Amino acid sequence: MTATDTRPAARPAPPPARRTRARARRQWAPYLFISPFFILFTLFMLVPIGAGIYLSFTDWAGLGTPEFIGTANYTRLFQDESFGASLANTGFYTVCALIVVLPASLMIAQALNARGLKLRDFFRLVYFMPVVLSPIIIALIFGLIFDGEYGLFNAVLEALFGFGGVSWLTDPLWARIVVVVLVLWRWTGFLTIFFLAGLQNIPQELNEAALVDGAGPVRRFFSITIPILHPVTAFIAVTMLVNTAQIFEEPFLLTNGGPGESTLSISMFVYRAAFLRQELGYAAAAGVVMFVIVFALGRLSISAFGVGRNR
Amino acid sequence: MSTAVETPGGRRPRIRPARIGLYAVLTALALIAFTPLVWALSSSFKDRSDIFSFPPRLWPDPATLENYSNLLADQPFWRWMLVSTGVALVSMIATVFFCSLAGYGFAKYEFRGKRILFDIMFSSLAIPFAVIVVPLFILVAKLGLAHPLFALIVPWVAPAFGIFMMRQYTEQAIPDELIHAARIDGCSEFRIFWSVVLPLLRPAVGALGVWSFLNAYNTLLWPLVIVSEPEYYTVPLGLQALFGAEGRQYDLVLAGSILAAIPAIVVFILLRKQLVSGLTAGAVKS
Repeated sequence: MTATDTRPAARPAPPPARRTRARARRQWAPYLFISPFFILFTLFMLVPIGAGIYLSFTDWAGLGTPEFIGTANYTRLFQDESFGASLANTGFYTVCALIVVLPASLMIAQALNARGLKLRDFFRLVYFMPVVLSPIIIALIFGLIFDGEYGLFNAVLEALFGFGGVSWLTDPLWARIVVVVLVLWRWTGFLTIFFLAGLQNIPQELNEAALVDGAGPVRRFFSITIPILHPVTAFIAVTMLVNTAQIFEEPFLLTNGGPGESTLSISMFVYRAAFLRQELGYAAAAGVVMFVIVFALGRLSISAFGVGRNR
Repeated sequence: MSTAVETPGGRRPRIRPARIGLYAVLTALALIAFTPLVWALSSSFKDRSDIFSFPPRLWPDPATLENYSNLLADQPFWRWMLVSTGVALVSMIATVFFCSLAGYGFAKYEFRGKRILFDIMFSSLAIPFAVIVVPLFILVAKLGLAHPLFALIVPWVAPAFGIFMMRQYTEQAIPDELIHAARIDGCSEFRIFWSVVLPLLRPAVGALGVWSFLNAYNTLLWPLVIVSEPEYYTVPLGLQALFGAEGRQYDLVLAGSILAAIPAIVVFILLRKQLVSGLTAGAVKS
């Protein structure tokens, strides 16, 4: 980054014709550079969304012509208890992710940022590790650990406290909580590195000045750390919100939505309707409802937090 | 860094209870992050009937390689691995190229509609996959684009997150003067990007590369929907098929998971510094 050019720009100017051509090229160059995204975006996002909206007004099993049935899919959706359950479960996951995972990763980052901490990079590396693994591996491991009869966790509880017969994955409430634990285990370390980077960006003088002014650790946390971390927090919150709202792999692999439908997520609902029950129109309608919710929440929080804006 | 030197005559650094508590907490968290992996590793060497033995044993006894040999003998595991790594590598190269190019376009040019185009790009982060999965599946199938390798790679090579990240990094790392100088030297716009800008983006390129490799390598939902031919199964898909089939074959799937995790962990450990600094560069900037 030391390659800053200090030469005065007093070079012989190129002839005018060449200069205008260069300027013309400079004008269309950025469009060309960003065009791959917009081509793929149109083909593989906009067009499918349009097609999805159309499909959501039809009844179609994948063969023949879709039959137009008006808003029947939507009326059915809002009376469908499974859909209600999947909405509630997804809401539960998302809220938990925001109120548990977010503060937890901030706390860990704060601990990792302690002055003179040894092994900082080692800890960061270990915490980060789960996120590089495939969800199928994670779900498998959690299946081993939380198995109701022979799982490691029950065995440990049994050894320590003398009880351990909890059916983690077959009890509706516990199964939901285990999914959240999985999300927590998978994402916390990943988010920690963002917070840690943000914390390391806080000028040391700021904390020292506050210390001189007699501000305690709690006060410093709320008046310096939190405001300065705002952009990081916003970025992470939005990412986490959008990701968790689409949660699929964790409940799909761990419990397959069960017991009953108590861990079913919206994405799983869409997948099940489309690819297991061949109700493509109905699945599309569920997708559209999800799109409206996630997109509205996402846009709302993006503008509320000012994410992605530069100053 | 050492505060003891800066404050002569001040408190000597000594081991305080708070410090011990801090290390205890961090170590406990490291154990929580690590134990499940160790448990999976150890279980993968256990006899099928010992995987759920009670009381649980950390050390496999008797230790056996049977799970691995059974998996490799009965399942086309290396074929899955080939498809997965191939798809992940091609996706990685294409993603890095398209995202750096677009990120550079957004970072260093002023053009009509820039703000709205950027907003559209950024909003696409909030489009849930579930809304496009059904119609996209139908479109891809109807248009005859359903060749697994096409469908697994092409739609995802310009992710908005990557473009956003590269834009942030380009703004910080590339001085405008450098681009002006290259322009005065008569470089074409693409040439400036390719030989002046791209080499300076190396840390962010590394991070985005790892990120997109792991994404493509680990993803399950889209392969599950689009790949029906077993010869194009990716590793997660193959393992899912094994796991979903009769009686959850924990023994085989465990062995496969451990083998599948190795490339991901190796890539991660080799490029960890770049990954951490590159990923956070974009988000941290205020």
